[in-house]
Amino acid sequence: MKTPVQVADLQETIRASVLEVRGDGKAGGGLVLAFQSLASLMLRDAEMHVQEWPFFSSARRGANIRSFLRISRRPVEAACEVTRPRMAVLMDEGAARSVDFAQGVPPGGTFVLNTRHTPEECAKHYRLSGRVVTVPGDDIGTKHLKAPIGNVALYIAAARAIGGFGIEQMTDSFLMTLKKRRIPSAILDRNRAALLASAEAVREGVFDEAGPDDHPATPWSGYGELPVGAQTALRLSQSNRTADYAPSGFRLRFEDPATACTGCAHCITNCPEGIIRFVPDAERGLLVTGVDVNTFCKLCGECIAVCPEKLFKELPFEDRWEEVLAS
Amino acid sequence: MKDSITPAAPMAHHATPSGEIYPDAVNLEPVRAAHRALHETRETITADGNTAAAIATLQMWRCVLFAGFPITPSTKWIETVAAHVAQQVGGKKRVKLMEAEHAVADYLVGSAAACRDLIFPTATSSVGLDHMTETTRSLGASGLGNVLLIDVYRATANFPLCIEGDPSDTLAHRDDGFIQIACRGKQQIYDTVLQSPCLGMNHEIMTPVMPGYYGIKDSHRNARLTVEPDREIHEFQDRWIKPCPFPGLINGDTAFGNCVTSRHFQGFKISQKQRMDRVLDVLPQIGADFERQFGRPGLAFFDSTGFASDGSADLTVLTLGPDFGTFEFIREGYAKKTGLKVAGVAMRLLTPFPREAVRKRLERSKVVMVVNQAHHQGRGHLTLDVADALADVTNPPRIVSVFAGLGGADVSEATWEQMLDHGRGALEGRALPPWAFFHEGKAL
Repeated sequence: MKTPVQVADLQETIRASVLEVRGDGKAGGGLVLAFQSLASLMLRDAEMHVQEWPFFSSARRGANIRSFLRISRRPVEAACEVTRPRMAVLMDEGAARSVDFAQGVPPGGTFVLNTRHTPEECAKHYRLSGRVVTVPGDDIGTKHLKAPIGNVALYIAAARAIGGFGIEQMTDSFLMTLKKRRIPSAILDRNRAALLASAEAVREGVFDEAGPDDHPATPWSGYGELPVGAQTALRLSQSNRTADYAPSGFRLRFEDPATACTGCAHCITNCPEGIIRFVPDAERGLLVTGVDVNTFCKLCGECIAVCPEKLFKELPFEDRWEEVLAS
Repeated sequence: MKDSITPAAPMAHHATPSGEIYPDAVNLEPVRAAHRALHETRETITADGNTAAAIATLQMWRCVLFAGFPITPSTKWIETVAAHVAQQVGGKKRVKLMEAEHAVADYLVGSAAACRDLIFPTATSSVGLDHMTETTRSLGASGLGNVLLIDVYRATANFPLCIEGDPSDTLAHRDDGFIQIACRGKQQIYDTVLQSPCLGMNHEIMTPVMPGYYGIKDSHRNARLTVEPDREIHEFQDRWIKPCPFPGLINGDTAFGNCVTSRHFQGFKISQKQRMDRVLDVLPQIGADFERQFGRPGLAFFDSTGFASDGSADLTVLTLGPDFGTFEFIREGYAKKTGLKVAGVAMRLLTPFPREAVRKRLERSKVVMVVNQAHHQGRGHLTLDVADALADVTNPPRIVSVFAGLGGADVSEATWEQMLDHGRGALEGRALPPWAFFHEGKAL
């Protein structure tokens, strides 16, 4: 019989050692601000030590990024990345297509997700064992901030998960961060409304859906065969995390039902990832047949801009979870 | 600056061997009076490294012109400065956004030469510093110690491009003639920027300073920062920064545009080297004075940990930058596990390299493992410096050279343990390669 999962007390972790938190999201999605705000909130406690920093490399909007946070009652010395977090945060479900946001989290960890799905659905989909906290941040952002920005809600959900601060302190701290950036008062009011709505919308539960082989902190397997210098193959590498840059919720679509492609090849020469598919064509020279959107498309829009026949479009796209569809 | 810097008419001047001095050309008192304090009292704030460096420069009354050109990861320095300057209604400080880094360096030269008693800061990184090189190489020798070039370390113009922090940029500019000081952590960044002009503008030194810190790992890492009241900072700096004895306007007093014959070139270089050597005497004095006033460690040649009271250690790690913190985190546990005395040195002063102090610190170690974080064709920049420092020691420690963290790569606890195991091999008498690479807990 499986032992019920024991959820770690995060306040006790902070008191006795260091609470390590890792977040995954996409560049431009607000993950960095959410973590900075959490750090500022924690430092309201004069005895708290905090270290917060992002990892984003040369990422452009839509690329996967990470943020790290260490919280402790003792001075924080370690400066390395967090690989076995006690708490994992997912700002953007699109980011989870490229990385396992729960990787290395021990059983009984805490998972905080910006999602419309319920904690139970998330636990099943991502195979999570521990405390699962959810908040529909994009919806709250759309309603109060006029944009699907989930960081305000995620900040509240994560702060609630960590504990130690009331909603008033959480709200004050976040608004103080915005005030330092000289955000107009009307927008501060909207953020205040979003913060309070987020507190109402947080849901959580404890689940045990992870198998023994799920989310292992996989050992590094080496650099493999690298090309001389840094040629295109490296830029296209998924392991280099430059792939899958498309903002969540949108995907490139190529449609040519009337075979209108002129074979001008502008899309092929302008695509920075070389993912336009084509075949030789006796009349046109070549015929574009599609585009490999699943892996490398960054939705840069070059093909959309240059195609004289307007055969490329950026269309909304939503991941459909099998278990949700089944239910 | 019309209200603050008023040309006297007719301008009094007199000749010196270096050029003509115009003592009334820049009236400093209105400049000082125009300063708006950023902090009236000691405060604790949350800041990343770039913000810490920006606040420090903004708090100096002598900093009135901030020239810059944005480049990751140093961009937030100029952004923060510009935001504060824009907020100060009626303030006299100005931001000068230039069209390229080379232009920034040239601007620094002109303004610093014109106003020898003011401080002219900028921040850059990697290829930005490379772009400046034509000018920085002259600037280093110019005697313009009032230039403060903050280098936010980023892997330099190697192929492929990498925007993250390793000190290859600052180490590639060891011979530019700047005093180079490495920092780790927000507090050290803030404190170092405040002390740097005191060193560079010292009359016996007169050499520009290049304080630096790791891009992303420190430039973008938020933590608690204690900021001091502007008034006390001014009091501290005014103790050290005296009116400059050299000409205050550009009229041939610097090396720029001047050409000398071989008979004189070498003489200038000897003089430059002698000025640089004075850093080794003056820096500890400034550091001690800073600690007296603010209660925190001031400038030092290096930070060290874990040495026995007699200075001995079995295995000593020498490196620089924030990854030293991870070493500190595991040091005691590793020492307990292996029964070894494990010590560590994090370098602060890179140029001039404090070879005597390093020799004294390391000479009673059995093995010194140097962790290099910048690409080098040989055993590593730091390794060569350490080898030089230990060259005259009878029975010198065995030097082990390793590389980790290039391009800002993570240096995990497992990587540190693996490197320490490697260094332990030297203690056991094993033959080791001239250098070895480590990543993610593995020897590569």
